[in-house]
Amino acid sequence: MRRREFGLTLAVLAGCRERRPRLNVFNWSEYVAPNTIPDFEAEFGVRVRYGTYESGEEMLAKVFSGNSGWDVAFPSNSLIEPMRREGLLAPLRHEWLPNLDHLEENLRRPPWDPGLSWCVPYMWGATGIAYRRSLEPAPHAWAGLWDERLRGRITMLDDPAEVLGACLKKLGWSVNSTDPEQLRRAGEEARAQKPLLRAYINAEVRDQLVAGDVLAAQLWATTAAQAIAESGELAFAYPAEGFPLYADNAVILRESRRVELAHRFLNYLLRPEVAAAAVRATRTATANATARRLLPESLRNDPVLYPPPEVLERGEWFEPMPAAAQRLRDRIWTEIRSA
Amino acid sequence: MTRLRILCVAPAAVWVALFVFAPLAVVAAYSLLTRGAYGGLTPPWTLDSYERLADPLYLKILLRSFRIAGLTTLLCLVLGFPLALFLARSGPRKNLYLALLMLPFWTSFLIRMYAWIFLLRDTGLINSVLLGAGLIREPLRLLYNEGAVILGLVYGYLPFMVLPVYAALERLDPHLVEAAADLGARPFSTVLRVLLPLARPGIVAGAVLVFIPCLGAYLTPDLLGGGKTVMAGNLIQNQFTSARDWPFGAAASLALMALVMLPLGVLFRRGGERLL
Amino acid sequence: MSRLLAVYAAAAYAFLHLPLAILAVFSFNSSRFTVWEGLSLRWYRTAFGNAQLIEAAWNSLVIAALATVMATALGTLGAYGLIKRRSPAVAAGLYLSLVTPEIVTGISLLAFFRWLFRYAGLHLGMHTVVLAHVTFCLAYVVLVVLARLRTLDPSLEEAAMDLGATEWEAFLRVTLPALGPAVAAAGLLCFALSFDDYVITSLVAGVDSETLPMVIYAMGVSPVVNAVSTLIAFGLGVFILLAERLRRA
Repeated sequence: MRRREFGLTLAVLAGCRERRPRLNVFNWSEYVAPNTIPDFEAEFGVRVRYGTYESGEEMLAKVFSGNSGWDVAFPSNSLIEPMRREGLLAPLRHEWLPNLDHLEENLRRPPWDPGLSWCVPYMWGATGIAYRRSLEPAPHAWAGLWDERLRGRITMLDDPAEVLGACLKKLGWSVNSTDPEQLRRAGEEARAQKPLLRAYINAEVRDQLVAGDVLAAQLWATTAAQAIAESGELAFAYPAEGFPLYADNAVILRESRRVELAHRFLNYLLRPEVAAAAVRATRTATANATARRLLPESLRNDPVLYPPPEVLERGEWFEPMPAAAQRLRDRIWTEIRSA
Repeated sequence: MTRLRILCVAPAAVWVALFVFAPLAVVAAYSLLTRGAYGGLTPPWTLDSYERLADPLYLKILLRSFRIAGLTTLLCLVLGFPLALFLARSGPRKNLYLALLMLPFWTSFLIRMYAWIFLLRDTGLINSVLLGAGLIREPLRLLYNEGAVILGLVYGYLPFMVLPVYAALERLDPHLVEAAADLGARPFSTVLRVLLPLARPGIVAGAVLVFIPCLGAYLTPDLLGGGKTVMAGNLIQNQFTSARDWPFGAAASLALMALVMLPLGVLFRRGGERLL
Repeated sequence: MSRLLAVYAAAAYAFLHLPLAILAVFSFNSSRFTVWEGLSLRWYRTAFGNAQLIEAAWNSLVIAALATVMATALGTLGAYGLIKRRSPAVAAGLYLSLVTPEIVTGISLLAFFRWLFRYAGLHLGMHTVVLAHVTFCLAYVVLVVLARLRTLDPSLEEAAMDLGATEWEAFLRVTLPALGPAVAAAGLLCFALSFDDYVITSLVAGVDSETLPMVIYAMGVSPVVNAVSTLIAFGLGVFILLAERLRRA
């Protein structure tokens, strides 16, 4: 008799805890301000489970199943089309997203989703060259990373799309090239560069730039901005030959059973104050134009995060690769790395 | 006799069937499918992925992996055996030393790798000390090469050698060593003639436990090798991430596993040695 | 020779603990880069204030404890069963589990769980992580325990049974105690493997089951992470010393 009552009490208590609706958000790490989530929870009376990931592929592998448990995710623009084709995304209802008006002009009809039917751009960035100011002459073009004088003090990103993208740009072609001959030549460039390289390394190179081990590195603008904020000896250049652009977008997964709440969350993120707070905390470039106007001068016109239009013109958005091109690129990447 | 044996093996058997065989069957199925337009899997069923493996590029990677894993295993044995011997003979303090051995391995593997990077860097601790003491004029390139990878692997897998060898040696009768000494054997030959043969099951177990994971390692070659040393693990991991070519990744994994299982099978059948 | 061994062991322990010591020192560094700038406790304060970190650490502990207990029990019994009579199927399965690269184990389990759960309506979570951890730990336990079992004298068990013990009693009272050190070693190995696993865990973890390695990997090279690992190592070190003190008392 006692046991049954105990069991019933447990069941009731368990039921009580579930009363507040829950939203599961899966985002890149360090992409919101410390109070973003708690404020949302307080205002809407919900609980948010906030998980983070380090790579888009890792996120994709988890959500591919269709029952990962996540409601909202933040794929980068080159993953939007593949995810849509695989039926992983829930269509967006603009009547629930009045704050869409705050988006930057050029991101309201982005090439990967012109109607914004599937995603809401969140933060964007570019890849360029981070270097120590003491370097003479400063590397303002990708070709600068092939400089013999810098042997052993250069690094590139550990990412085939980025490395091949830089090589393609150096040769005057598109970062999204699928032409086998162009890709082959790009591979040769990379192999020629390899003896000069210290390593293929991602954000961890920040430490080594500050310490002086590395003189020039291929790096994302946001990571560079974060490093520059901590050490005045560093600078960042948007390469003259052109550079890749990427944008991380908020999407609602089709498996989500809390679609309306997810929309409310997306709309909340689009609020200028919220977006501005995120930028102040993380030093990233927001897709939210109104938020940008709220930022302090130093961030609003930071040339690393927000380059002038004539520089931005040289940028090119990453695009998803068809299967044959992806296979070729991957093979070339394997060849480069095992050379 | 039989009932107890069945009862003991049954849980492990069920577990293995459910969580090893079934998932691997799924991977085998993956290896026979084709990569979808943007990743993912679709029919047709094909041996295409396996055919792609027959390529000198991948053979080169495989040989390099075997070489690095082999060196690591050897080093682990040479460095780990005396340590295991010490542990086995340490009497009542045994568990304390064991726990102290494992202590570093309860902190994150990733952090320990970053600590090694800090130690081995051009402006790292080792170079700073050597430069400061005037022993070298220019920093030594200790990081982002194969040597650093092997160091990292040995550091990461040493307990996998020490623990099985310790488990085998611990049961050893210390009188055996005394007897050998009484008969005039010098300490070193005691080790060679008495201890090593008796510890053999542990050494074999340790060698397997170090060699095989080393083949599939990818974090260490990436972090300490600067992404410039491609091992089999890197190739496979790449297929499941940036290349999004699951069929090829699955085929490469199964091929690697088959390559390792074969000599293991021969070794164990021929030498009468059994691991499991 | 004992002296030589002791000296060698001291050097080996120093080698093993050196990175840890470095981390500990830099966890008190007031700068976030690896350039020494002054003594500070700020990273410890940040660590304790980070709810995600604390929850992840707790998850890791729980998962490691559960997985260790289950894997050690399953593995010890399994090893005993195997040494009585060979079972090629089980041995093959355990070999396979050893030979599979971590990422393949992770992917295979993810695919398996996905397929399974679609019909059961379940999600990935703590339970899938524990299941995955037991799976990859099992072979190690069997290996270590078997290596030890082979050095045992089977006639001892027979003698016990001749004296009237049942099979089970013989196992419990004779073999199991003799296996003690091997089981302990296997348990320690399991705990370390499970606590520190990143690849497999990140693939099969669900919404609620973030573990410490996942959070650390996300934080990257951060002094907060140094603080966390120093805390863990320190805590475990204290625990070990206490246990030793108790044993001797």
